[in-house]
Amino acid sequence: MIGEVLGHCRVVAKIGEGGMGVVYRAYDELLHRDVAVKVVKKDASLDSSSRQSLLEEARASSSLAHPNICTIHDVGEIEGDLYIVMELVEGKSLQTLAGETGLAPEAVLRHGVQIASALGRAHDRGIVHRDLKTANIVVTPEGLVKVLDFGLAKRVGGGILEAPTLSLSTVQGTSGLSGTLPYMPPEVLRGDASDSRSDLWALGVVLYEAASGRLPFGGRTGFEISAAIMREIPAPLGPPVPPGLWAIIQRCLAKEPMQRYQRATEVQAALEAVQSAGIAFPEPAADRSGQPRTTTLHTIQHVRIRKNDFVLLVGTSKGAFILRSNSLRRRWDVGGPYFHGQSVYSLAYDSRGDRRRLWASTSSFWGTLLRCSDDFGKSWTNPQQAPIRFPPDTGASLKNIWQITLGPADEPNRLYCGVEPAALFESQDAGETWSLMRGLFDHPHRPRWMPGNGGLALHTVLLDPSNKQRMYVAISSGGVYRTEDGGQTWTAQNRGIRALFMPEKYPEFGQCVHKMALHPAQPERLFLQNHWGLYRSDDCGEHWSDIANGVPSDFGFPVVMHPRNPDCVYAVPVESEEFRCSCDGRLRVYRTRNAGASWEPLMRGLPQKRAYETVLRDAMTTDSLDPVGIYFGTRSGQLFGSNDEGKNWVRILGGLPSILCVRCGRVEEDGFANVFPVMSKRSHSSSKKTGASARGSSRNAKKR
Amino acid sequence: MSVTFHIPAALREFTQGRSTVELKFSGGTVTDALSALWTACPGVRDRVMNEQGQVRQHINVFVGNENIRYTGGLATLVPDPSLISIVPAVSGGN
Repeated sequence: MIGEVLGHCRVVAKIGEGGMGVVYRAYDELLHRDVAVKVVKKDASLDSSSRQSLLEEARASSSLAHPNICTIHDVGEIEGDLYIVMELVEGKSLQTLAGETGLAPEAVLRHGVQIASALGRAHDRGIVHRDLKTANIVVTPEGLVKVLDFGLAKRVGGGILEAPTLSLSTVQGTSGLSGTLPYMPPEVLRGDASDSRSDLWALGVVLYEAASGRLPFGGRTGFEISAAIMREIPAPLGPPVPPGLWAIIQRCLAKEPMQRYQRATEVQAALEAVQSAGIAFPEPAADRSGQPRTTTLHTIQHVRIRKNDFVLLVGTSKGAFILRSNSLRRRWDVGGPYFHGQSVYSLAYDSRGDRRRLWASTSSFWGTLLRCSDDFGKSWTNPQQAPIRFPPDTGASLKNIWQITLGPADEPNRLYCGVEPAALFESQDAGETWSLMRGLFDHPHRPRWMPGNGGLALHTVLLDPSNKQRMYVAISSGGVYRTEDGGQTWTAQNRGIRALFMPEKYPEFGQCVHKMALHPAQPERLFLQNHWGLYRSDDCGEHWSDIANGVPSDFGFPVVMHPRNPDCVYAVPVESEEFRCSCDGRLRVYRTRNAGASWEPLMRGLPQKRAYETVLRDAMTTDSLDPVGIYFGTRSGQLFGSNDEGKNWVRILGGLPSILCVRCGRVEEDGFANVFPVMSKRSHSSSKKTGASARGSSRNAKKR
Repeated sequence: MSVTFHIPAALREFTQGRSTVELKFSGGTVTDALSALWTACPGVRDRVMNEQGQVRQHINVFVGNENIRYTGGLATLVPDPSLISIVPAVSGGN
């Protein structure tokens, strides 16, 4: 080859050899400059279509004029040999420079900005590198970074991704899988399509390696490396790597492309911000392994949700979990914990319109926020400004969001939140902005409401599906209030409900209601679990009657309804106000199928010995399937479920933090899901959809 | 005059990952200094303060080594140069 002319380049000397070909130094006799020429080997197992696309990509890449991209001058074929003429870059590869200990953070940032800038230009032109790695990034003696092999990586041979690496110092030993696999993103390993975000993953690997001299995902075999890429999180980089740089690397290495930066220019901007801000760079430690390890890694598992899956949402005092199953509801995959260390008092699955959105309220030292996820928990909003806030003139500040209630199905942008201190907020733009419902907040009774053990909480919001102007709220301790004019005015509806802790036992308001439920098929009927007392109203809360006929205690928290049978209700009685644990250490759900005329215990599969459990007001729910599933969680962190209407129970999970809230939903094919958060969030169409079977079920219930 | 803020890990999402943020400051009280921080990093504000402008119950703000709860609260004057630290209370039991 030496002395031969390829196009107008005379080959001068061989300077390296790789898996796919040989690199020569050449002299461009037309333009009088030194160049590098890569000649692709005939046996590089390129079929004709691969060969064609390699040519096309090389031609596209030749249009990338950028100081940090090794310019491709020419591509062509001579006697069946494919050759690429490019800028001759002399310097050291980033792999060599990183060595075994990594570069100083300042150098990593300096190089990283240039690499990100190169990727930004290429991505803007629709060109994805596909094989970015420290071995094909060269740093010249002047500190200029050059990214090589742009657009040249293609699938060759048996589907192995390989680049015709040209770097003078890294040609040797870069053939085959070992040189590339550690930089492959999970989506490529899964066989999914790759896009520009796959390059951002590789950039994360490059930055990690440049900063530490180590690869983030290692292993002795390809299998081990692949497994690490798919499942493991890399060991954190502590000082001297600044936290800002580590945060950028972590975001590049998010397993899901959606969780990464979406554009190379964003990475560039973030690296520049770390570079230019007055960041404290801790002194490099002489021996990093001797440093105290104070970084805590959060391992979050995600569940993959498919059509027709059934999801169970569990809010705890230290985060949320998402469980998935199919309609049999026997086996569960568990995702989470989301919101590490934060209390999640309310959750909802919103399938109105075309969305599949999870709503969650999170609460910690840093305040209370309403957040949502459109990808089943993989990413959550974290708004800069808290959207739910009391107006300045109220002097009040938000302590907790106890309830997220979806508006009617035909108003998919309407939402309500019941909060502490007791107040109701409304959004008409899908949660972007919220307003305090003044009619209730300015109610003359409000100054005389008293906080219960859990604070002064508005914890239940029920919408009447047959009358959009009618809503109910329940307040602990304030009682039940109803509006007939869409929230303008509210009246106390507590006739017949006791308040044992008050001098007057049946006051107009001030009752400590623990939970209330409404059946969409019979919306004038309500059930209520009071701080002492189980009640039913058949006239929209005008009058309440005691239905604690045959329960071991009428103290308890949750009350949930069967989705189809308005006579069927579930409650969990607990022993005494002081103890608040399951009666006699036997964990039992009680069910009535005659609207409270009698109650029967459901206990098969539930612990019946020394089970001193408490089920909190929102920690129980029913689903919409047939047979109906019932789920509840305990303060001791156990999650129980029944997929046969309560006949048999299993412990789905144990060892969770205290369970505050349990909700469920079905991911139906058209995005429609039935959600049964203690029946408080039924929508019009869900009741219509289940209407036919509801009638059938009611008849069956009567026959039984 | 400048003021440097120490940002706890939980809030670095709103400071582009920075553990410290150094800002130009024309002098004044903790309120003035925090206002400059809210302008630079708006997401930090609602995590530190409630909507009525009070520092959240379990959050402490230090100027140098002094907790402002004992030096005049948000009206505490900020000397030059200063390090203002935002620190969540060390508490437990949950």
